[in-house]
Amino acid sequence: MLRQIVRNPLSLAGVIIIFIFITLAIFAPLIAPVPEGHRDPYLIPHDGYSITPQPPSEEHIFGTTQGQYDIFYGCIWGARTAFRVAFLVMAITILIGLVLGSLSGYFGGKIDEVIMRITDVFLAFPALILAMAIVASIGPSINTVIIALCVVWWPSYARLIRGDILALREEDYVEASRGLGASSARVILRHVLPNAIYPTLIMASLDIGAVVLSAAALSFLGLGAPEGYADWGQMTEFARNWIVGPQNDPLKYWYAVITPGVFILFFVLGWNLLGDAFRDIFDPRLARR
Amino acid sequence: MELRAYIARRLLLLIPVLFGVTVFIFAITMFFSPTERATLYVTSPQGMRDLPSIIEQYGLDRPFFVQYGTWLNQVFHGNLGWSNVVSMPVGRAIFHYLPATLELAIFATPIIILTGIFFGSRAAAHKDKPVDHATRVVAILGWSLPTFWLGLLLMMIFYGYFRGLLPPGRLSSAMEIMVTSGDFIRYTRINTLDAILNLNGPVLLDALRHLILPVITISTVNVAFIMRLMRSSMLESLGKGYILTARAKGVQEKLVISKHARRNALIPVITVSGYLFAALAGGAVITETIFSFKGMGWWASQSALRLDISSVLGFALFMAVMFVLVNLVVDILYTRVDPRVRLGGGVQ
Amino acid sequence: MKDLIKIRDLAVRFYTYEGIVYAIDDLDLEIRQGETLGIVGETGSGKTMTALAILRLIPYPGKIESGSILFFDKSIDQELELLKLRDDRMRSIRGNRISMVFQEPGAALNPVYTIGDQISEVFLLHRRRELAQRAKQRLDSLLSDGNGLAAGVKRPFWGWQRRIYDKIAKESHAFEPRLLGRLPLFRRLLWRMGYEAKLLTVDMLKDVEIPDAARVAVQYPHQLSGGMKQRAVIAMALACSPELLIADEPTTSLDVTIQAQMLELFRRIKVDKGASILFITHNLGVASEVCDRVAVMYAGRLCEVAPVGEMFVHPLHPYTKALLNAVPMPGKKLETIPGVLADALNPPPGCRFHPRCPSAMPICGQERAKLKEVSKDHMVACHLY
Repeated sequence: MLRQIVRNPLSLAGVIIIFIFITLAIFAPLIAPVPEGHRDPYLIPHDGYSITPQPPSEEHIFGTTQGQYDIFYGCIWGARTAFRVAFLVMAITILIGLVLGSLSGYFGGKIDEVIMRITDVFLAFPALILAMAIVASIGPSINTVIIALCVVWWPSYARLIRGDILALREEDYVEASRGLGASSARVILRHVLPNAIYPTLIMASLDIGAVVLSAAALSFLGLGAPEGYADWGQMTEFARNWIVGPQNDPLKYWYAVITPGVFILFFVLGWNLLGDAFRDIFDPRLARR
Repeated sequence: MELRAYIARRLLLLIPVLFGVTVFIFAITMFFSPTERATLYVTSPQGMRDLPSIIEQYGLDRPFFVQYGTWLNQVFHGNLGWSNVVSMPVGRAIFHYLPATLELAIFATPIIILTGIFFGSRAAAHKDKPVDHATRVVAILGWSLPTFWLGLLLMMIFYGYFRGLLPPGRLSSAMEIMVTSGDFIRYTRINTLDAILNLNGPVLLDALRHLILPVITISTVNVAFIMRLMRSSMLESLGKGYILTARAKGVQEKLVISKHARRNALIPVITVSGYLFAALAGGAVITETIFSFKGMGWWASQSALRLDISSVLGFALFMAVMFVLVNLVVDILYTRVDPRVRLGGGVQ
Repeated sequence: MKDLIKIRDLAVRFYTYEGIVYAIDDLDLEIRQGETLGIVGETGSGKTMTALAILRLIPYPGKIESGSILFFDKSIDQELELLKLRDDRMRSIRGNRISMVFQEPGAALNPVYTIGDQISEVFLLHRRRELAQRAKQRLDSLLSDGNGLAAGVKRPFWGWQRRIYDKIAKESHAFEPRLLGRLPLFRRLLWRMGYEAKLLTVDMLKDVEIPDAARVAVQYPHQLSGGMKQRAVIAMALACSPELLIADEPTTSLDVTIQAQMLELFRRIKVDKGASILFITHNLGVASEVCDRVAVMYAGRLCEVAPVGEMFVHPLHPYTKALLNAVPMPGKKLETIPGVLADALNPPPGCRFHPRCPSAMPICGQERAKLKEVSKDHMVACHLY
């Protein structure tokens, strides 16, 4: 499998991109050192209080954005934030989805009905708006964003896993194992889940990008990270007022707008390329001859 | 005849779904205080001041289902409550903001679907060749773009750099005046449509000018879905036995793809297109916000932000109805395309 | 009489992810005019590939490496090298002079088009001139017999149509009708082609003994039973009276009673149409019912070819003997062929069958035997002879 990933140029590109981001995230303190006496490394240090963004210079490699926050620092530490949000949301969502999906798929009947109706309702509602409502009612912060995204995302996984389990439930080896007296839990854990994992993994790898995009969108709307936090979406929000510069130089503040966005783009792109490759590898219908 | 019965049956299905959605959201609102919930019954600014008596009147301290019943009764009388966010009744808010979103959806959906189908089937027909790879890269790129960033970028270039070539908003102020004046009849409040119906060229051009960027933004991000779906659907179709038969009959390759493979490949795409339209009709929050294109998405997001319960409930209701209607349309389209569904199978 | 099909040194290879598969290796075979040749073998023996090679429909990642397939064209009294033919010429042969019936009739039919549409397609592809001619004749009688006001009004249209159909009758892809066919409004003028095609289709369906043919023609594949579907597919293949009909396991997916009917149908086709049939099957019993000669293939190579009676009474190749032995018979112990099927990626050197052959000799593992005529019209590729 690894060989297939490496052979495909697109997925290879994806892996490389993700690898670069992992490196950035891990070595953030070295690449963008935390200034002396700074309490929270996730708060971007700001050099003064002037509102106008400053172009890239020796001191500030990517320039500064509104409020003199260093863009370089923000983008590098933003990688950490992105990974944190992505993994937490995915982990929690898959867990909830696994539990509920398994219960639903394996036991069927009333439990299934109830859980399915609930997922129906969640899925019918536009995700972003639901997330916004949740964040708004609890109070904006990165953690709230994580919670909100989990609430919005779990139904798809519950459904997916339920579907897989329904299909696998009928398989012979499941029946055989029950015939031998295995308890339901054992059957689920040892036989059904390992096989249901693959589609879930595919979907998860494709979804990480979407999660990060949604988190960035929420931050952009002011519902996520607080001001000055090292979060790409938040930084783009800062740039919102500066998309059009003065008459003679309309693109003057390009660095404030483009840079954080580029980081988001490549992060998501890397995961999407990888996820796409996963899908091709694991999808039996498109298997190579 | 059986089609009519089918539609009737499906419309009837609306009811339990609506029931479920509203109960669910209503249940969530129970977490809020009676004062806040009272806004659901307010129909005018004066009402907002009268909240204590409303709490009395509608028994907002009574058990859940009694309240739900009262509210439902309200709804059947056309009263969906008051939208604090935009200072008008919820019903009117929907009526007011829907056209903008519909306009976006009407322009974006065909673009997305047609582009997706075209490139998707191209990619499948030339699998593993440059076209296929290029299509895939473009699709993934589009899907990876943050919507808000793309919007900002486009505005930066076409509004900033090109000095107001493609401005935000629905209409420029001059046209806005024209449209709200007596000379212009707003049939649908969808500016492009109204402009055509009024035979008014300038307004039409202006409206189109304002539509270009938002539509491009929405389309770019969503086209990937359809492209990928069409591609895999076509690949599956091309692997089927009847394709080999068609070739064995001597059909030209071009026709094999367009006539035999594509028709079958379109079937799943139709379903997804329906959901796409429903999603777009629910409003593209970010796009509408960035481009000041005040539609449902914008209204719903503002309501969510300010925790305007009646608005959110009204929006939820609207989405549920939209969902079921779209499902219905998709099902009907299905019957036209797939004879197995239409004639119900069975061997004679 | 010249052989209808002459295959020489045919090699078909598949370039897969795992390696090269030698699907057909050095094949020499003839199909004579008017005969029914059966190809018998297990899955993977290359029988289907042979058929696809004749029609040049080998799917990717396969390739026809080398060899020649000569098709004797009666109309011009010339042998055509099928493998070197231009694409459009090959297309005009497919479905027209050589056609194929596949194993799964359900899969062979497109679910979104009616049976009639799919069969008519063949007529519309290959019999344009005939269709146009019939349309023209119909119009001629309309023009001469037509009386009354309605006729009077339509007359000019009829005249116009007649002129167009006349053009097609003379030259199947004449410019003017083709142009008109592409223009949205004028397309309708050519509706008579479809109409005539429909009539011919219903006749064809009757020919293959489908009851209530007119009704079946407007039905969709999923509304028909397996046997009916297979008949429809056969109708599609026979529509243009091909000189060679290739049938790839046509009865395998049907149940036994239908099978019998199907074989009866094939026998009738033999007699009525005088076409050659290449009948591919893994079922020896079926082969004995329909075929004049039988060829046995193993792992992409030809083992033995003989007239059907001779083959079953005096099988020569060890593989053939083993196959016949393996047919279950009451009272007899069930015989199997020991060993496993030759690995397609790494076939055994020399004779492909030698690892499983009871009469294997040292030379069998070193070089393959050439096809030799051992008795009248009976050829074997085995070192024993």
